[in-house]
Amino acid sequence: MADEPSSTLDRRKFLAVLGVTGGSAAVLSGCSTDRVEKLIPYLVQSEDQVPGIATIYASTCTECASGCGLHVRTREGRAVKLEGNPEHPVNQGTLCARGQAGIQGLYHPSRVRSPRQRQTDGSFKDISWDEAIALLAAKLTAAQGKVAVISGAGRGTYRDLLGAWTAALGGKLVDYEPFDHESVRAANRQIFGLDQLPAHDFAKARYIVSFGADFLETWLSPTENQRGFAASHGYIDGAMARHVAFGPRLNLTAMNADQWHVARPGTEGAIALAMANVILAERTTGPADSNGLKNLLASWTPEQATQISGVPTEIIRRAARDFASAGPSLAVAGGIGSQHRKATELCAAVNVLNYVAGNVGRTVLFGAELQSGDGYGALVEMTTAMAAGQYQVAIVHEANPAYATPKSGHFADKFQKVPFKVALSLFPTDTAALCDLVLPIHHALERWDDLRPRKGITSLMQPVMEPVFGTLAAGDILLKLSKKAGGPLASFNAASWEAHLKQSWAGFAKAQGNGDADGFWRAALARGGVFGPAPVTPVKLAAGALQLAYPAAALDGAEGADSFTLSAYPTSMLYDGRGANRPWLREMSDPVTKITWQSWVEIHPDAANRMDVQDGEILTVTSPHGSIEAPAYLYGGLHPDVVAIPLGLGSNRTFDGRGTNGINALDLLNGEPTGGYLAYTSTRVTLAKTGKFQAIAKTEGTPRQLGRGLSDSMTLTQAKKGMTPSLAAAETEHHPEVEVNTEAEHAALRGFRSAQDEKIKLGAYAEDHPKWGMSIDLSRCTGCSACVAACYAENNIPVVGEAEVLRGREMTWIRIERYWEGGDDGEPLEARFLPMMCQHCGNAPCEPVCPVYAAYHTADGLNGQVYNRCVGTRYCSNNCPYKVRYFNWFAYNKTAFPEPLNLQLNPDVTVRARGVMEKCTFCVQRIRGAQNTARLEDRPLADGDVITACAQACPSSAIIFGNVKDSTSRIAASSRDRRGYHVFEDINVRPSVTYLARVIDRAEA
Amino acid sequence: MASTVHHNQTHADVTRDVVATLGTPGRGYTLLLLGSVACFLVGLVTFLFLVKDGLGLAGYKPPVMWSVFITTFVFWVGIGHAGTLISAILFLFRSPWRTAVYRATEAMTVFAVMTAALFPIIHIGRQWFFYWLLPYPNQRWLWPNFKSPLIWDVFAISTYFTVSATFLVVGLVPDVAAARDKMTGWRQKVYQIFSFNWKGTQHQWQHYSRGYLYLAALATPLVLSVHSVVSWDFAMAIIPGWHGTIFAPYFVAGAIYSGVGMVFTLLIPLRKALKIEHMIGEYHFDNLAKLTLLTGSILFYAYAMEYFVSWYSGNTFEQTTFWRRAFGPMWWAGWTMIICNAFVSQLLWFRKIRTNLTALFVISIFINIGMWFERYVIISSLQNDYEPWAWGQMGPNWADWGILLGSFGWFAMYFLLFARTFPVVAIQEIKEMIPMPRKRGAH
Repeated sequence: MADEPSSTLDRRKFLAVLGVTGGSAAVLSGCSTDRVEKLIPYLVQSEDQVPGIATIYASTCTECASGCGLHVRTREGRAVKLEGNPEHPVNQGTLCARGQAGIQGLYHPSRVRSPRQRQTDGSFKDISWDEAIALLAAKLTAAQGKVAVISGAGRGTYRDLLGAWTAALGGKLVDYEPFDHESVRAANRQIFGLDQLPAHDFAKARYIVSFGADFLETWLSPTENQRGFAASHGYIDGAMARHVAFGPRLNLTAMNADQWHVARPGTEGAIALAMANVILAERTTGPADSNGLKNLLASWTPEQATQISGVPTEIIRRAARDFASAGPSLAVAGGIGSQHRKATELCAAVNVLNYVAGNVGRTVLFGAELQSGDGYGALVEMTTAMAAGQYQVAIVHEANPAYATPKSGHFADKFQKVPFKVALSLFPTDTAALCDLVLPIHHALERWDDLRPRKGITSLMQPVMEPVFGTLAAGDILLKLSKKAGGPLASFNAASWEAHLKQSWAGFAKAQGNGDADGFWRAALARGGVFGPAPVTPVKLAAGALQLAYPAAALDGAEGADSFTLSAYPTSMLYDGRGANRPWLREMSDPVTKITWQSWVEIHPDAANRMDVQDGEILTVTSPHGSIEAPAYLYGGLHPDVVAIPLGLGSNRTFDGRGTNGINALDLLNGEPTGGYLAYTSTRVTLAKTGKFQAIAKTEGTPRQLGRGLSDSMTLTQAKKGMTPSLAAAETEHHPEVEVNTEAEHAALRGFRSAQDEKIKLGAYAEDHPKWGMSIDLSRCTGCSACVAACYAENNIPVVGEAEVLRGREMTWIRIERYWEGGDDGEPLEARFLPMMCQHCGNAPCEPVCPVYAAYHTADGLNGQVYNRCVGTRYCSNNCPYKVRYFNWFAYNKTAFPEPLNLQLNPDVTVRARGVMEKCTFCVQRIRGAQNTARLEDRPLADGDVITACAQACPSSAIIFGNVKDSTSRIAASSRDRRGYHVFEDINVRPSVTYLARVIDRAEA
Repeated sequence: MASTVHHNQTHADVTRDVVATLGTPGRGYTLLLLGSVACFLVGLVTFLFLVKDGLGLAGYKPPVMWSVFITTFVFWVGIGHAGTLISAILFLFRSPWRTAVYRATEAMTVFAVMTAALFPIIHIGRQWFFYWLLPYPNQRWLWPNFKSPLIWDVFAISTYFTVSATFLVVGLVPDVAAARDKMTGWRQKVYQIFSFNWKGTQHQWQHYSRGYLYLAALATPLVLSVHSVVSWDFAMAIIPGWHGTIFAPYFVAGAIYSGVGMVFTLLIPLRKALKIEHMIGEYHFDNLAKLTLLTGSILFYAYAMEYFVSWYSGNTFEQTTFWRRAFGPMWWAGWTMIICNAFVSQLLWFRKIRTNLTALFVISIFINIGMWFERYVIISSLQNDYEPWAWGQMGPNWADWGILLGSFGWFAMYFLLFARTFPVVAIQEIKEMIPMPRKRGAH
């Protein structure tokens, strides 16, 4: 790597850089935005770069605090796709949608491209790095230690350096992470005396209770949670874990529960305490020290919990008994969306519940110490000091508190009291806009770095390509500043950030007992880091456990008949707002509501009825702290007393010109920290109709299955009996299984099939070909949409924007259909998911109707689509019963990838032009690639050689792909599963995708 | 034939009256023509925008991948059916009442097919590659997919256009010659070309009559086949609401129904404008109305049968489609189709209505609207087929309406030009009905 990013890459330099790359893992080529105008052949061929062959680098995801391992696929010197690192213990090869969209951060057109200084008139001017460093160094020297640093950097060498650097300056540093789970830590302090975030082993748990914790969305380590959850809750050989959710909102996590029980907001803790009480009262053995709790909990009867929460007594009692007997079980709480003013008490109650059930040490593992920030309270403390004029210089590293804190906390005003403010940032964030100097830093894929997301894991990052813009690694900025400013910083004298990191790793190697620092480094780099087991700390109840209490949560604002409790919740796509400028995440639709691009206000249909509010009617939501306007979305998955608004939008800095920026739900919240954290679900709001309407851009047509058997499910009992989905449906709906086809029809079908079998022995179809097939286990699928992101990345799928989504023109080759069941007449509202992509029918209706053979059948059972041949009659789409073909109504290829986002495009996949039809290809480029590799290695294709992008990404491992003709393959076994079915079996299109019915563990006697 | 030929008409009168229609146009005609050209230009500009920016400009909302363009395509193909029915089939059946109207309907057929033929080009995503639908020899050895109903369409439409245009041109030959004889100057020379040097000799007449008969025989099966093929665009697909065996006869009946409707719409004002009321009168309209009643009743039966079969099949997909046709968000379109086609046509049981030209004109407008909506409603089945998640709504916008308007402009432009340039009433066939002039005593 060159020290300086080359903002002007002339020919001489280009060749020089190419020459020196050599064996370094950092390979680059001309991918600067300043185009190289001449075509220059590789005079000196880089050793590890073969045109047309992907190079994979291990790295680490920085899109949330989980610290998942990455495999970055690069082609010809540019990163094209992020996948999970199979060796990384957190995500084990999978990656969530947000993580995959990280690559759009790398290439985002709105990234800050050079240092920018604020002028007296308020505008920003580009300056050189030398000027910027000199300016800041002077300010730091002048500040005399009055330096405030707000850091969003995760735990690692950079954070260590920043900490030491700040300390040397005499300044103060706050680690700031908007979704900090401070209440979980506070409860752990109270109950166990440990100021930690533990790891959770969902895979081991046989009974999972979630008290509003969205562990499949944003809670602690979502991808890891999902992997574990699928392992235990997925149906295997007659067994599965049970998942029960209590909470005011049916979020994605609760949608994956076997039962969701709506509880009044802020009352989940009463249920947890009642469950603990029942367990303690009824059991004979258990941790001895928990007996002290017995008296304390005696007053928390299930009856009382019912009164408080509204959840029936029988359900609480039964949940308690099952929870205790399932062993090990797991209860989780402390999700951002349920972080109310008694969130610490709730988490404490859940800690006790886990403890009395014997889960601590089995499924709740202390000692891992998941990384977290200092909490909202610490930030408020610092900003108060800023307002008091205690700081001369403020440095904000990759954090956006001006956006992520409520306006009523007045962060911006207080922050602006600091005379000189600096942002180290990728994007022109709301916070950067307040600063006097903006220093653009390398994206995680452009720099050397490491991260310690938990004990036992040190995960590495490496530059996978030449920086896209004229940015610097934040570590280099610190070192350059030190060199320039000298004084207390003189000791930070490493030649470069890379050198500093390697030096620190040499120490790490020694600590690990490895004398060969260089070999240790290289091995770690290849593997993606150093991974060991996290230590498990034995846990005892602390004295604080006896202070356990659960007072009613005081609400913020007036309670009244016409007011609601606001739940400002994070979505799995937008997270704390980081997702808001990623076009993929905006367009892929929220997994729960299926809304794209927009903000919305969820309101219960009963309340909407009362107020005569229609879907899409713009409501004014007013709290004591502010008001917003957004369209109503009628949602039955709410407590009727709750309105819910997703977080993440409403920044002024979203993806340019695409859709509305939406509103920021934080504007309604109280900026005062409650117990060190921000209460997201405690504010009372009133609603007012504006009489205006907005069409809601959702991807859902009709949310009901209409008895058509798309996403089938069965009870655990039925699954254990080995029932097929149709038999189970017949039993559930109390009708005999109707044999629709008569013998004559069967004979006709047999005749048709044998005629078809004759046909597939003709011509190019004659030889022995594989038959590609897929199976999707709906008992594992959580609807998280990681597969959708993978498909967007792999297959160059364009985003079309809000206006086009409103016309139903989104291009998602794979979409997650979310159907509702029940919800009327007191029946519980349940969700069903169905990932739908081209079914690659054996008897495909799309093929014969194409007048030009653009849709045709390949010898290995795929529905080919020849983009170049397509004239766009769209007949194939009309005739597709699954409606999985997508038409390029406009030249989306020209609008969806503004430079330099186009650098992400996968060179193996055609970018489709206007006027042609496109669809899922079963990742044919991967199939052909694997076949070519096998041929070159002179071996037959083995099962698992071909993995489609969706199957690769799926954190639940719900998708299996392979050759159905290979009877030993996983797909062949899966296709024979008793739970297997085809969607619309009766129309005889013979799809290649087998779905395995979801299994629901209902509370049966 | 009392109604076609007045007792005191002579051959010379016929020629004089018909050729009089070819004179210098009046103001009304000029305005109409300019209006038609303006409408056509609207369509043309819309089309150019579609080519420039993409089909996305039109109101397509997946899953409705076909919308107003295909609706209008089928509408115009349908219009094109009455002409051949009247000129060829009724010729073979020797129905004398066709004589006065067949030329106009034949012209209508050719222009309607010309209009329809534009749509396969307009509606595809890459209009500049429309010729890939044609089986032309090429280096890549690529043929179109003969299994696709769209390819059948290409053949059906091009065959129909060729035959009906030939039929029209051949039928015109003696009349153009008659007009030529009345013309002077350059116009005479032009008509001379289109008359193929017709002299009206016995020898020419002999060949001409045979040839015309064979052409009529050739055109006859096309009346049934073309719209059957067009109906298979739908019936061959597996979409509920499309996939029905009834489609071919149902579409043919509908086509004739709509075609005759359009004949009313065109002829009732035209006969007045051209002052040929004495040649096309009550008698002809009465017969045309009976044809309308017949085909309208067939449609009535077909509609009823569609609903019955969807109920009787027990197929939930079919049932949903038809339920939504009647009571879904587009109920108004469904009922427009049923009322305009099935019910309005029943008024023609009354002779009073059949012979009241004002009433017929009004009914014909209903027929045009109803038949356009019939195709629109059929295509709207795409809104709610198998996969509920993908269900959507149709949403035509300015581009759809622009093309629709343009198609009417294009059609009207040709028809008006024809009406002023060629005899819209068949001179020689009317003359055949007038008794040969004989020497008589003076009276």
